[in-house]
Amino acid sequence: MSTLTARRPFGGRLLLYAFLVTLLLVFALPLLWALSSSFKSRADIFSYPPALLPNPAVLDNYRGLLEAQPFWSWFAISTVVAVISTVVSVLLCSLAGFAFAKYRFRGRNALFTIMFSSLAVPFAVIVVPLFIMVAKARLTEPYFALVVPWVAPAFGIFMMRQYTEQAVPDELLDAARIDGCTEFGLFRRVVLPLLRPALGALGVWSFLNSYNSLLWPLIVISEPEDYTLPMGIQALFGATGRQYDLVLAGSVLAAVPSLLVFFLLRKQLLEGLTAGAVKA
Amino acid sequence: MSTPTLERERAKPGAPPPAPGSWWSRHQREAAPYAFISPFFVLFGLFMAVPILVGLYLSCTEWAGLGTPKWVGLRNYTDLLTDASFWTSMGNTALYVVFTLLVVVPAALLIAQALNARGLRGRDVFRLAFFMPVVISPIVITLVFGLFFDTEFGIVNGALKAVFGFGGIDWTGDPTWAKVAVVVLVLWRWTGYLTVFFLAGLQNVPRELYEAAAIDGAGPVRRFTDVTLPALKPVTAFVAVTVLVSTAQIFEEPFLLTRGGPGEATLSVAMFVYRAGFERQQLGYAAAAGVVLFIVVVSVGLLANRLLGVGRDHR
Repeated sequence: MSTLTARRPFGGRLLLYAFLVTLLLVFALPLLWALSSSFKSRADIFSYPPALLPNPAVLDNYRGLLEAQPFWSWFAISTVVAVISTVVSVLLCSLAGFAFAKYRFRGRNALFTIMFSSLAVPFAVIVVPLFIMVAKARLTEPYFALVVPWVAPAFGIFMMRQYTEQAVPDELLDAARIDGCTEFGLFRRVVLPLLRPALGALGVWSFLNSYNSLLWPLIVISEPEDYTLPMGIQALFGATGRQYDLVLAGSVLAAVPSLLVFFLLRKQLLEGLTAGAVKA
Repeated sequence: MSTPTLERERAKPGAPPPAPGSWWSRHQREAAPYAFISPFFVLFGLFMAVPILVGLYLSCTEWAGLGTPKWVGLRNYTDLLTDASFWTSMGNTALYVVFTLLVVVPAALLIAQALNARGLRGRDVFRLAFFMPVVISPIVITLVFGLFFDTEFGIVNGALKAVFGFGGIDWTGDPTWAKVAVVVLVLWRWTGYLTVFFLAGLQNVPRELYEAAAIDGAGPVRRFTDVTLPALKPVTAFVAVTVLVSTAQIFEEPFLLTRGGPGEATLSVAMFVYRAGFERQQLGYAAAAGVVLFIVVVSVGLLANRLLGVGRDHR
């Protein structure tokens, strides 16, 4: 079996690792640099040549950020919005994915095609009318405007359908029906537990999408006390003298929840994302 | 379709007779799928179908957001045809798309190929590190890149000076270099994401195929072209169409890194729409540009789909 490995010369192996490690550095460098610089004094951030490690390491940037800006409010809004979006969209997408995967019903293919092709609608087409609708209806309060339009993403439904098809055996559904289970009970008691890995994947995906989104919040939220975290950082970075020191600290703090969520559920995310592509 | 299993079971002697119950309890099996997909279609109708129709209407009006929209027929569209900014944004967007397809996708394939080497240690560490840029908020990324590309203090210029002896590139002020900066950011952000798809595809290729090819005397290049590429066709098609549709809508990278500038050197179509709609209050004009983008994306997407055969139901 291991003929190919055995025949691969040592030099090739070395080259492979050199290639990958170089890339690793290239990919990681900007983030490590941001982390390191967030502990540097304002002057040191721009010192040249750039120091690898902050010397001396200071917490001034973090202190300045937390004192001068409503950071925790931005953070709270972003996190609460992301959590609500995630819970609702995981539920709605798995329900719809289950329906498309396991039921034969009139109009199924047409409805699936409509759902799937909505992926191709550029945000730029709907953004102006959508903003007008939301603004006219006075729904620019963040928990509505940032959550409701995006809680049933077509990509999520597609992903859940792909997964449900292979993870949920039809026999199990029939057996539960014979035992008198209602259709929704079927979903809740039989299907949902089987979908756990995919729910994790979709959960991370939704959380990151919502937590990191910038364009839509920028359009729809105007009151500074309703700012999301990316908006807040963007404001710090904005016109009035770029406050790189505060922005760096804010960026590092902002990245913590997304990295945390990603690391906790990375396996599901990577596998869930590719389920549709590879087996399509 | 009827429900033979259920009916037969219920008809069995000794089984409880069918519950009379409400309409829902009698018809739930047929109604359930519609109930389950209805939340999506309600939201889709409200937040996508209606906006598209409103957008189509608005695109034929002149409107600054106050008062009543004034009907102008197709004038916005004819104005777009002669608007140099719009053509610049189309050209830039096309450049981003072509770059992503010709550079980012092959780079991702190359990295996936390296990650798929047998006996590679630390594969997961590499895979995670390459995926990381996708996880981080775009504002954070562009901020860091903004500092990297800073003309005076930036690491990029510093490194160029150290290695090649020149490093005074005005990354965000020179039209050509600004494009390069945006494109580098796109490469950095999305290569790892696409790598994940290719790697998953590669791991699905049976090892025996490679061994059989090797026994037949195929070298690494032949093995790649004759085994790997055909096996990767579905993934490649998926990636290509995804990239096409999403890069055609590129907004964040040029918006945050260069604000579309200098001048309009990095302006994308999505930014053009944003600028017209939210900075210049030309809502009808913005809607028209959005519709044009939609038509282009859908036709190119359909064409690519036909060529590559994505999303066909293979069951």
